[in-house]
Amino acid sequence: MIVQDIVEKASKVAQGVQAVMLTQETSAVDFDNNRLKSAQSSQRTQIEVKVIVNGKVGTSTTTDPHDIDGVVSRALEAAQFGSQAHFELPESQTLEPVKIFDPALLPLAKPEMIRMGQQMMDMILAYNPEILAGASIYKTISKVEYANSRGAQYSADHTDFNVSAVGQLVRGTDILFAGQNLAQKKRAIDTEEIATQAIEYFRMAENIAPIEPGELPVIFTPQGLSALMLSLTLAVDGKSAYLGASPLRDKLGQQITSSSLTIIDDPFIEYGANTSAFDNEGIPRKVTPIIEKGVLRNFIYDLDTAGRAGVKPTGHGSNRSLTNLVINPGDLPYETMLRSISKGLLVHEFLGLDQGNPINGDFSVNLFLAYKIENGKLVGRVKNAMLAGNAFDALKDITAISQQREWVSMPFFSISGLFPYIQVGKLSVTAK
Amino acid sequence: MQDRLNEALKAALGVEYADIRLEDKTNTWVNFRGPDLDTIGSARTVGGIVRALYKGGWGYATFNDLADLPKRVSEACQTARLIGTDTTYYTPVEPVVDVVKAKLIKDFRTIPLADKKELMEEYNNIILKHHKKIQTSAIRYNDSFKTIYFANSQGTYIQEEVPDVNLRIAAIGRDNDIVQTAVETTGATDGYQGVEGFHEKARSAAQKAVDLLAAPPVTGGKYTVVTDQILTGVFTHEAFGHLSESDFVYENPRMQEIMVLGKRFGVENLNIIDDGSLPGGLGTHRYDYEGVPTRKNYLIKDGILVGRLHSRETAAKMKEPLTGNARAVHFQHPPIVRMTNTYIEQGTVSFADMIKDIKLGVYALNAIGGQTAMEMFTFSAAYGQMIRDGQVAELVRDVVLTGNVFDTLMHIDQIGNDLKWNPNGPGGCGKYDQYPLRVGFGGPHIRIQDCVVGGQQ
Repeated sequence: MIVQDIVEKASKVAQGVQAVMLTQETSAVDFDNNRLKSAQSSQRTQIEVKVIVNGKVGTSTTTDPHDIDGVVSRALEAAQFGSQAHFELPESQTLEPVKIFDPALLPLAKPEMIRMGQQMMDMILAYNPEILAGASIYKTISKVEYANSRGAQYSADHTDFNVSAVGQLVRGTDILFAGQNLAQKKRAIDTEEIATQAIEYFRMAENIAPIEPGELPVIFTPQGLSALMLSLTLAVDGKSAYLGASPLRDKLGQQITSSSLTIIDDPFIEYGANTSAFDNEGIPRKVTPIIEKGVLRNFIYDLDTAGRAGVKPTGHGSNRSLTNLVINPGDLPYETMLRSISKGLLVHEFLGLDQGNPINGDFSVNLFLAYKIENGKLVGRVKNAMLAGNAFDALKDITAISQQREWVSMPFFSISGLFPYIQVGKLSVTAK
Repeated sequence: MQDRLNEALKAALGVEYADIRLEDKTNTWVNFRGPDLDTIGSARTVGGIVRALYKGGWGYATFNDLADLPKRVSEACQTARLIGTDTTYYTPVEPVVDVVKAKLIKDFRTIPLADKKELMEEYNNIILKHHKKIQTSAIRYNDSFKTIYFANSQGTYIQEEVPDVNLRIAAIGRDNDIVQTAVETTGATDGYQGVEGFHEKARSAAQKAVDLLAAPPVTGGKYTVVTDQILTGVFTHEAFGHLSESDFVYENPRMQEIMVLGKRFGVENLNIIDDGSLPGGLGTHRYDYEGVPTRKNYLIKDGILVGRLHSRETAAKMKEPLTGNARAVHFQHPPIVRMTNTYIEQGTVSFADMIKDIKLGVYALNAIGGQTAMEMFTFSAAYGQMIRDGQVAELVRDVVLTGNVFDTLMHIDQIGNDLKWNPNGPGGCGKYDQYPLRVGFGGPHIRIQDCVVGGQQ
């Protein structure tokens, strides 16, 4: 294996070495503007090397499997000026068994993927031929290999499957985008269900509902919950906490949200989008409670930050990325939550989520797709309005959590998980 | 390399067009977070993409392994033949053979990693020692040198070197539960000197973070807004630039009605330009990623929509001239219609004249970012200052501007005489899954009437 070759080569100079290699094959088809537009095959190789020489860390990466000597010598060079290592590489440990490989995905070829995309597009166009529909289907087979100089050595084969259906509807100068996507590690994705959900977002937006500025109760859809989860995920980053930049840095063990909220990071969900048994530092994954009944339970730490902070690494990789975030369901059906609101908003998608001051929790976002609630019913899409508030304050003001949950995947914000609908007492809405 | 690519393209059988683009990049980075060096290292990235076009359908093959190029070419061709069932639109271009060499004043590849680390440490120490309310810092230095090799089945071969060095420094202030960040960026396409001498900016970023701790959030509402040059650039890019990318328009009859050439979009003296040939710009190339020469393209002239940005496919379909705007973030993606260097042309009004008759307004400065969804846009200033009775007044934070682009362009009533380009810092533009593409943007101060500023009321 290449990773062991690297460890062997670098060990001649370095006291500690780890190597990670990812190899990947992807097939994809893309529909755009009501037609099959493109298809692709992708081959990827990525090699990361980390060395410790005289207590200092150096890193290098390459995409070229024939560049082993190059990547090793660049890592060794970087280590001369590197940061102090605050860790030792992990020894070999027993891994939890995980379900991340679905053989049913192997025979899935482009003609069948085209058929799946066409079916979703046809459904959207059957609902409204004025929509410009699109769809994409991605299938990836990967292998991850890890080895280090203390004898730890792991390898895992993954399958990934990602399906999305989208549409765009232009009426006058009004432009509406909506869609639905699902990412997981198994073949069993119901494309009909995805198209149906995409259509539902259009159906709910058939009317435009005027809205007056003010303080309103707000229901976040599972996807809309990203507005609150972004700040929370940034704040539970152990490095931010260690450096004192996280507003939660001294809140471990304290009540920080409504006691109805429990959030667990679970890397072992069967075929979950981010399920895996070990991270890119050779640390076995484990279940990490983030918030239990409103109490902050953990920050997440990579190997080096854990060493600096005097705690244990949590198995979230060198980038400290959460895996599958799971929010416990509540006791109300979503429909009952809706019925309880005489005037409010259902918010689903935003523009400018990462602007403002997300680490501090402050958000001020454009409502890209949101609906007005009036007398317990959705009455139409809200346009040209902004939602402003503070994510941590909003999480203290949770008034209901739904029984229903949906998988949400937002790779841009590194957020993926199983989320319910969450209702917040009051948030400020600015309208034009 | 030319022979190798042409040889591989012989495997392009049964398709109407094929091209191949290879990239070879080395980069180094030095990152500090707080007092400690966070990571230091270097990377080499090689890979390529083959595109094949058949009956209006595209087949792509992307790869890191350059061993068997003819195999990748025939793979892309097979895929194209699988999906093409329609008509091909693809504007012809004169074949060119050209080699574009980088011109570096101070070649960052010859600067020892130890020196880069030392300079970043100087900036970091300035921030950390500035004030007791400075909680922590983040310094991100990156340089990269990329060579792009492009050949197509129509005889074009282009080899281009793309150097890039950039720096982002952030000062993070804290006062009890309030955390505020102030950021400064810089960079250059012509060498390491672009990140030197940034000490004064490090000091001002640290002071800004401290000042923002005491600044109140802006009160949400509708204001007369004046944007500084950086934010004008972000606005031009986000609010209007993306609408002029014709892949949003070319197969969309409704969008064509909205974006019809000859329609008035703004005041008489509003001119918006995208120019991929601008010397030294972050979005500058001699050719785009389909071998089309770049040029200066007027999008809005005298307030009237006069042009839009094209790839060879969208230009053919819309029967409009080529503009040289097909770009890709890297070899794992095909080129799509993208901006290069986008700006509002300089006007005649001084900043003092622009604010003198504003009773209550917001002066929005520096940019955190922006996002657009066709007619809706939002962009965030790093901070703002209230304008009261014609004077710049107190500092405010959390200034997010939003609106409908068609209304907002019409509401630009004054254009400043002080055009500036954005600093060549890290980051770039995202579209679909291609991020961050290097783009330039800029403009003068502009004044916008009735602009919605987000925030609690």
